[in-house]
Amino acid sequence: MKPNLSRKDFLSLAGSSAAAWTVSPLLSENYLPRLTFFSPPGQEPQGDVLVVVFQRGGMDALNAVIPHFEEEYYRKRSSLAIAEPNSGDDNSGIDLDGQFGLHPSLRPLKDLWDAQSLAIVHAVGSPDPTHSHFDAMDFMERGTPGEKSISTGWLARHLQTVAWENESPFRAVGIGNMLQSSLRGPVSATSMRSIAEFHLGGSTDSAELLKFQAAVAEMYGQGSMLDPVANLTLDATGTLTQVIDANYTPNGGAEYPQSQFGQALLQVAQLIKAEVGLEVAAVDIGGWDTHATQGALDGAMPDLLSDFANSMAAFYADLGDLTKRVIVVSMSEFGRRLEENASGGTDHGHGGVMFVMGNNVNGGKVYGNWPGLAPENLYGPGDLQITTDFRDVLGEIVQTRLKNDKLSEVFPGYTDYKNLGILKT
Amino acid sequence: MGAGILAGFTVRLHPSKAQKTCAPYPRSMTQLTRNDFLKLSGLAAAMTALSACQPLFGDSGPSGAVMREAQVLGSPLSGSPDEDWVLMCTLHRISFGPTPNEVERAREIGIENYIDEQLNPERVEETDLPTDILNSLTLLGMNPQELFELEMRGRIIGELTANALLRCAYSKRQLNELMVDFWTNHFNIHAAGNPEGVLKVRDDLEVIRPNALGNFGDLLHASATSPAMLTYLDNASNTKNGPNENYARELLELHTMGVDGGYTQLDVEEVARAFTGWSVVGPRRRLFADGTPGDFVFQANLHDEGEKLVLGKTITSSGIEEGQAIIDLLVDHPSTAEYISTKLVRRFVADEPPRSLITRAAETFTNTSGDIPQVMSTILHSDEFKASLGQKVKRPLEIFVSALRLTNASIQFPNRSLAPHLTFMGQPLYRWETPDGYPDTADAWLGTSGTLSRWNYVLALAFNTMPGVEINWEALVEDTTTHEEIIDQLGYRFIGQTLPEEARQIVLDFAGQIDEEFLLPGIGALILSSPYFQMR
Repeated sequence: MKPNLSRKDFLSLAGSSAAAWTVSPLLSENYLPRLTFFSPPGQEPQGDVLVVVFQRGGMDALNAVIPHFEEEYYRKRSSLAIAEPNSGDDNSGIDLDGQFGLHPSLRPLKDLWDAQSLAIVHAVGSPDPTHSHFDAMDFMERGTPGEKSISTGWLARHLQTVAWENESPFRAVGIGNMLQSSLRGPVSATSMRSIAEFHLGGSTDSAELLKFQAAVAEMYGQGSMLDPVANLTLDATGTLTQVIDANYTPNGGAEYPQSQFGQALLQVAQLIKAEVGLEVAAVDIGGWDTHATQGALDGAMPDLLSDFANSMAAFYADLGDLTKRVIVVSMSEFGRRLEENASGGTDHGHGGVMFVMGNNVNGGKVYGNWPGLAPENLYGPGDLQITTDFRDVLGEIVQTRLKNDKLSEVFPGYTDYKNLGILKT
Repeated sequence: MGAGILAGFTVRLHPSKAQKTCAPYPRSMTQLTRNDFLKLSGLAAAMTALSACQPLFGDSGPSGAVMREAQVLGSPLSGSPDEDWVLMCTLHRISFGPTPNEVERAREIGIENYIDEQLNPERVEETDLPTDILNSLTLLGMNPQELFELEMRGRIIGELTANALLRCAYSKRQLNELMVDFWTNHFNIHAAGNPEGVLKVRDDLEVIRPNALGNFGDLLHASATSPAMLTYLDNASNTKNGPNENYARELLELHTMGVDGGYTQLDVEEVARAFTGWSVVGPRRRLFADGTPGDFVFQANLHDEGEKLVLGKTITSSGIEEGQAIIDLLVDHPSTAEYISTKLVRRFVADEPPRSLITRAAETFTNTSGDIPQVMSTILHSDEFKASLGQKVKRPLEIFVSALRLTNASIQFPNRSLAPHLTFMGQPLYRWETPDGYPDTADAWLGTSGTLSRWNYVLALAFNTMPGVEINWEALVEDTTTHEEIIDQLGYRFIGQTLPEEARQIVLDFAGQIDEEFLLPGIGALILSSPYFQMR
């Protein structure tokens, strides 16, 4: 039996008294849903848990979801193109709808596609013309293309504007050393490398350490700007040790890759199952900036695709029935140039691809208007055009699955929404 | 949040409380002795290959330590308390935490003169470097071909990291080391990113270090022909047959003009064309030039001979000189003066860099054709700098090194327990993947993960739970008898002032509660965990 924290205990954890570390052993595991410890009665969070995956570096959308009907694709990519789908050939594309195919390294996602739990949006992205990674990532994570004066993230603004309250230190979690820009803003978000490392001190859980912790809490109760994050840290570590089982076994035979990304999704699954009040999680998978030796079937990008697909599939299997209230969406700051360069790679492009995964997805379909790859249809220096704004996809998720109507605050300045119908209502 | 994170910070190292209680620098505080340095240099081990079982420094490690006579430091009463506060905070800002010797020197010649001395590192004699250990980092002396042939790649970056940390800890040219860190990030190279990453060794020793307080143009020219940079940003395979824009874009965006500096996508493409053929003789097939592996090479046959138009200027066909002309153009461009100045002011003054100071620094940059010490002089002697003291959040490397320096920790060699903490805190050297370098601003570092890892580092350090790392707390608080004296002495040492009254009382209460056995490390860890030590 895992002990539960009472709401009172939880609140006092944030305070400065060492005595606050008492955990009531009288509460049985099913006494109350844990979520209610963080929200006043009747104000529990509505909607699904959202997991946002950022593919950093600019994923080559054209080699992830291949437009195998496009002659231009094969003409411009003499060494990188993936062969048209051929059921007898594992090295060819995996056909989705007669037009598009998955890269063979994305095979683990095919079952999800067939089960209609995976939707793909193509030629999607942020409309700002920048080819800079850092500007493009900022614009996307802040949800404000072209606008540099807004420094808060779109996820933070979503949490700020929902109709409910949630005091959990795990309401918003970013996996990694640094909090993702999408989560920065007025709502506290916890960043963590892993659950296992997320505690104060070594293994010495002594009375002296508790005294130390109490004194640290007092040090961060004097009105400094560092106080909020320090108190959130104390809250989060204290809560976690009480509710998380150290020995986690994934369900459904799920096998997460040992990669950073795979392990990050494992942490998220564990947090979801522990019911610690998680509403949004941000997870990164980096390395997509494939200017050179990108690799068609083997190499840097196929390895990344394989990691991505295996991790996503494991996460889905592990969650089981919980996928009915979990949505995963992936994005990258931009796609890459249609024509490969002489280094066996591709330069920064424009239009990209997004994956949306979950039981509430109208999956098995490639969404968006295909702009074509003929020279006159390309964008700027020879990039895939963007015909769907990424905020259309995220806006639908926020409104339909996260039960937040305040899109004008989540994506300020954007009004031209197209409802793609990616999600079940 | 980014804008305001420091703006409302109310527990800044404020002089008002310190004025009355500003203790003399503890009389008993010993200098870091040469032997301590050698012990500390066990740092090297943390970074070197796991297979290196033979200590680089032999039996005369910790056991052979001979502490120098305790030295009485100059009295703080030679200046007003306000001056002492400015002096101490300035030292914390322009070093990885000042040693007693450095405090003494700054008091002797005055802080403004001390800044000038630090800006001219050749005037500062390097008496404290653990040269035996540094000399034993033999991989750093290897030429590129030898580096390529080595199988233990991790060891190469390990030795480079050890070299950097030893110099951060022991160099008396502290500002120079901060500048090395600045330029290492400005011209970031991910050393584990590709097989040529081992060439970062040459980049560090031949590009960054010799120019850290030199001329920006020299630095940029050196970087543009640095094999590690050319492979990291793929220019090594940038040819006329299919230009690769990666280096060209970051040259404009990150190295010189800044993303809003006024160039276009067309400029990026033209610059990429001009740098076609700038390559490296490499061990991999895609780097196909003849010559000695690891050397820079200009491949005329792969260079796009056509004319280029860059930033409105025509670059006539002239082979390698086209790229050189573009670099000169960029160094002279006002956007570059502005961008470099902004970054320097952000790093050395405030996350939200004051506009007035950027303007003056940029003027200096332009007037001196990119003389880095003169730009830094404008910044460090400014009123804006003084107004910012105590309000800049330390990056992990600064926490890491300053805690070691200020506690005079001794470290046995070999040592494997220290390095992971720099990784936990999020700043393992030469391992930031993207070309923008580790973030400069507090909002990137002060999440829960960063906060927790800082606390865990100082806990492990203070309680001597990292094997081979030891703090002699008794020596740090000699001649103290009361808890108050201990707290004041450690507070002054760690943060450059005695703690404000409220914080002092918190530590005092804590000291009264804990087991006597844990008293000194407990007090030390608490001050090192406090908001005050997070700042400089």
